[in-house]
Parts: sequence; C-alpha cells; structure tokens
Amino acid sequence: MKEMIKNNLQTAHKPSASNTLTNVAAEEPATTANPKPLVGDSKKVHDVVIIGAGPAALTTSIYLTREDIETLLLEKAIIGGMSAITDWIDNYPGFPDGISGLELADKLRQQAERFGAIINVGEVVGVEKVKQHIKVKTTDNQFLAKSVLIASGSDYKKIGITGEKQYYARGVHYCATCDGAFYRGKKLVVVGGGNSAVQEALFLTRFAEHIDLLVRSTIKASDVLAKELAKHPKITTHLGITPQEIVGDSQKVQKVVATDSNGKKRDFITDGVFVFVGLKPNTMFLKDSAIELDSVGFVKTNHNMQTSVGGIFAAGDVRSGATMQIASAVGEGATVALRIRKYLES
Amino acid sequence: MAKDITIYTTNTCAYCHMVKKWLDSKGVGYSEVNIDEKPERAQEAVAASGQMAVPVTVITQQDGEQQVVVGYNLAKLAPAIA
Repeated sequence: MKEMIKNNLQTAHKPSASNTLTNVAAEEPATTANPKPLVGDSKKVHDVVIIGAGPAALTTSIYLTREDIETLLLEKAIIGGMSAITDWIDNYPGFPDGISGLELADKLRQQAERFGAIINVGEVVGVEKVKQHIKVKTTDNQFLAKSVLIASGSDYKKIGITGEKQYYARGVHYCATCDGAFYRGKKLVVVGGGNSAVQEALFLTRFAEHIDLLVRSTIKASDVLAKELAKHPKITTHLGITPQEIVGDSQKVQKVVATDSNGKKRDFITDGVFVFVGLKPNTMFLKDSAIELDSVGFVKTNHNMQTSVGGIFAAGDVRSGATMQIASAVGEGATVALRIRKYLES
Repeated sequence: MAKDITIYTTNTCAYCHMVKKWLDSKGVGYSEVNIDEKPERAQEAVAASGQMAVPVTVITQQDGEQQVVVGYNLAKLAPAIA
C-alpha cells in the first residue's frame, strides 16, 4: 500500500496538461504527453472503493489516502460532480471572491491525486456484500473492497411535461454552463426558483437578450441571489407559474405553455428552456441491492453514516437528510473518512 | 486510428473538459473549436449534431467516414477512436 502511495505521489507531481483548466488554444493540436493514468485493479481487494467523485468523495479520498488507506474512486460522468457544472460558487468558505465550479472541482481532484487517490471512469451498476468483502460491479469491470462509500450525488430533476423529452438538447437543457452559449441574443425561459435556478439564470444573461424566470411558488434562493435577481434588467420573474407543456415546430422550441395561480393559461415565447427544479439522487444502481433507501431514493444511514449493510457508507447529496451544499458535502466527506478508518481498524 | 478529431467546446463546460482530459489520457490529439471565442462557428456544432449542446466531438476516420458524439459519452467515444 505504501509503495503504491509513493508511486502515485511521484506521478502526481509531474507537470501535466490535464492538471490545468486552461483551454487548449482553439484549433491547435493538444499535447499528448500526459502520464498514463493510474487504474484500479480488479484482481485485488482495495481498502476502499468510492462510488462518485464529487466534493464528498474527493474529500474522503484526501483524508483516507493521507492515512495510507488505498482508495479507488469510480466516476461515471464528471470529476467534481454537480459543483463542476455550476457557474460560480460564492458560499464555499476560503474563497472570498467566490470560485468557478469547474475550478473548485479541479482543485479538489488535484489535491486527492496528490495524496494517491486513483480516479477511474466507470459506471457502477451494482453493489453487494460477498462474505467479508464488498463487490462493486461496473458496466465493464468489477472491484472488491473492504469498505465502500456511496457518494454518487444527485442530478437535476425533469419537470415531466409534454415536449420536455422531445426537445432535449434541441431547446430543453439542464446545464447552463454547457449549453448557454447557443443562445446569444435569444429569448430564454428558466424554470425554478431555488439557488440553482436563480444562479444559472443570472449566468445565462451573459448570452440571452431576455429571460423569463418561471417560479411555481416563491423565490427560495438566498437573499443575495434574490436581490441580484430583482435588480437584473434582463430577467423578468413570474411567480405562481406552473409549466404545462413545451411547444415547438418539431425542430426547435417556440414557447412554454403554463398556468398561473388562478388556473389561467399563459404562453411564454422562447428559443430555449433551462430547467432547475430540484435534485434527484443517483441511486438507480442500488435498486436491487440490500441497501435501504428512503421514499425518494436517498440512501439511509445511521449516526456513523453507515448504510443498512455493514462496511458500506454514504455521504454527500446522495445521503438521506443531506443539505445539498458543497460545504456540507465536504464536511460529510471528512466525517465519513474517519468512520471508514475506524471500521477498517475494527 | 482516426484521421482527425475536432471538439466543439465552451469555456465553462465541465463535460468538455472531461472529454479533452480523457483524450489526453489516451494520447490522442485533437483540434478544439471554442465557441465562446468563435461564436460564429457554433452553427457548425449544431449542424453536425442536430443539437444545441456541447461538447460535440466530430471524429473523421481514415476512409472519410464521420462519427459525431455529443456529450461525455465514453461508450461511443471509445470505439470511435479505437
């Protein structure tokens, strides 16, 4: 284990183009001189396998690997999780001017890899206890571990209305930082009234000519964001509005049909719709497992952050009772690392 | 091996960053069109993919055949660059 850590540290200090967020100059060939990434070993028993690589997972891996506890992270999508696709983070301590989500995610990754965390791409499809070990199956591999942390986070919910699926990525979007650039000088609708909806609506004003923010009840975002929203000249907020249908000409979105609090029909003409109506847990891969979930699908844990299956823990947005804050996820990541260490020692 | 790979990206797109990082890890070269810096080329990505989303990776094979992958989709990217 120590030898692996040492090797990882040596690798982690090598300059690497992938260690920077700076974009490769447009249309210039990218460097290919990066070191070969470290990979998990399907033949050995890992000390800890972490499902996910968001703030909770990366924090846990920092704490564990600094204790020479060998840790493999399996991430199906983005290192940094939801934080990486958030435009700007103003409430994470230590950054007085705020920090971009992408940059924070990359700093967390660098810190984890510096101490020897191994981050692999892999979509987990099942978790089960096999005698004293835990088997984690991915779409193309399987790993054994002494302990497992479920930190698979959450994802944006769909509204569930007609047209939403049909126009996905052709006018209906869930990632402003990814797709906002296609709406320069256009009209947009943003759906939602929480922190994410308001933050991303403000981000989209750098592209869109005008934004209608449709809020089912009232604004639930923080006061700071709510004040910024209220004074923004490009955003019109509509309270008590419930979207009913997204209508287009089969090629692109034309309007959102909604109802107001009196049940009266309202049309909002738009070129695109961005949806931020809450989060759903990434726990589909646990549906056939022995791990107990709550009624919404979040993972239940005890006071030690352990699930209903011994040796399997949960932290971050995926945990039942989570507050869906990056700072909380980081705190949970540190706490669960200490619980896992104690479990491994017992 | 592909003859040419072009990725359409934006500055703030985390999925774009992941596609580039993954190609870097495979030692595969590519060209990047950043549509924040060249908004006039955004329509190329839309025309190639039929979607208003990035990343769009256009892989041109040696025989000229093109494959277009939208998003950070390793199930499609991996065989396309093999």
